[in-house]
Amino acid sequence: MIELRHDALDFCFPEVHADARCRIDFQRTLRIPDDKRDYPLPPGLGRFPLQHVDDFAERLPVEWLQHGGVFLPMYQAEALWINFHGDYPCAIKIAAGKINAVTGDPWTNTLSQDPQDYVVVPEQPWLDGFAVDKGLIRQFVAMPLGEGFSAEEQLTGAGVHGGIQIHIYPMKRQVYEDLYVRRSMLEAGPAFCAGDAAPSMGLAPGGLMHQEIYEDEYGIDAWDQNAGARCFVHLMNSVAYLQATKHLPPQEPPSAADYTKAGLPWFDYFDAERNALAGAAKLAGLDSVAATSIKKGQGRVSGNAPIPSPAVTAVGPHSRVREGDF
Amino acid sequence: MFYILHMTFGSYVRTTREDLRARDKRFSLRQVAERIGVEPAYLSKIERGDVAPPSEATIRRLAADLGQDSDILLAMAGKVSSDLQTIIRARPQLFAELLRQLREMPDDALLRVVREVRDGDW
Repeated sequence: MIELRHDALDFCFPEVHADARCRIDFQRTLRIPDDKRDYPLPPGLGRFPLQHVDDFAERLPVEWLQHGGVFLPMYQAEALWINFHGDYPCAIKIAAGKINAVTGDPWTNTLSQDPQDYVVVPEQPWLDGFAVDKGLIRQFVAMPLGEGFSAEEQLTGAGVHGGIQIHIYPMKRQVYEDLYVRRSMLEAGPAFCAGDAAPSMGLAPGGLMHQEIYEDEYGIDAWDQNAGARCFVHLMNSVAYLQATKHLPPQEPPSAADYTKAGLPWFDYFDAERNALAGAAKLAGLDSVAATSIKKGQGRVSGNAPIPSPAVTAVGPHSRVREGDF
Repeated sequence: MFYILHMTFGSYVRTTREDLRARDKRFSLRQVAERIGVEPAYLSKIERGDVAPPSEATIRRLAADLGQDSDILLAMAGKVSSDLQTIIRARPQLFAELLRQLREMPDDALLRVVREVRDGDW
């Protein structure tokens, strides 16, 4: 089941295991320059507000009600990253406009091992964009659906779905207990027993960023595909969000240049023990927002000037804080 | 949804139907009665409160026709839907205790207990 708590989606699978939980939130962030250079990880500037579509049914598109799920507000050309929390291993499929963000393939409700079309938490702490090459992603950037920028429109020729789609599968109970519960008991030693604007946005590929998407070390048979839960996260233009909900959307984030000029940190995440996936040729072939804008004759995208050597803070599996410090 | 049921079943049905009829003539007494499979005279008596509320099946058809929540109309008619009765009968002590504990809980706390993010068709 999925619950919405404090602007995060709480997935839990009590039928699989009492520990089988995973929390996902969507972080506001800087849009990195889309200038063919690659950048470190930008910061988290706080969670996007999330709302049940059913709470605003009369002011939302009919298709959104059919999809169910939640929605969040984004400004045009605003970026986001997806933040995963949880200790129980889960396989998570992420799509934008029903295009898989890891492989570029159309949405399916099952996991694929070859090519791997999902990320594994807790090993994967974040996902910032479309996997275009080994250790390289293109940032998720919101653009109005129907203008040809989104990955969905570039790959299918139509902007039908938009939004973000998530499907989580917990690790099978037996695999988890074999791998973790018994191991932790052995490690602990003997112990006592105890108890108006067009509202719909799609995600387009933005600037390049260093981020590895890690290979599944458990194998596809570790995941309980009978116990998955999925959620459609609609992206709403911030102006339309205000009209629909009467709630103010968050302020626009600062530009990458202003943030860097203020001496605030960027991040690099490195886990030497894991292998990274190669990235998807389909996604590598997409035009970025800046390239699409030029092709469409709309000129250069603002806020796209290169950033000279930002200050980078290294984080690893044991120090994952990338949010809430600003 | 949590409602305080001030109106009687019949007057609520009549008010709802007449509001709809003001915008759409298909919600006349005769046409609604025909769609839900009862005589117009019987529906008229229900609306005036001259007879007891109809069966669960008829209330469900009426709710669907008027675009109302069937659980709310059933509650106004003093009925509990058969699917809920089945759930309670399966574990009567557990659900009786659960409902008693939830009785005094504020709406926002109840929503936290029972609210799931709904998955749809996509």
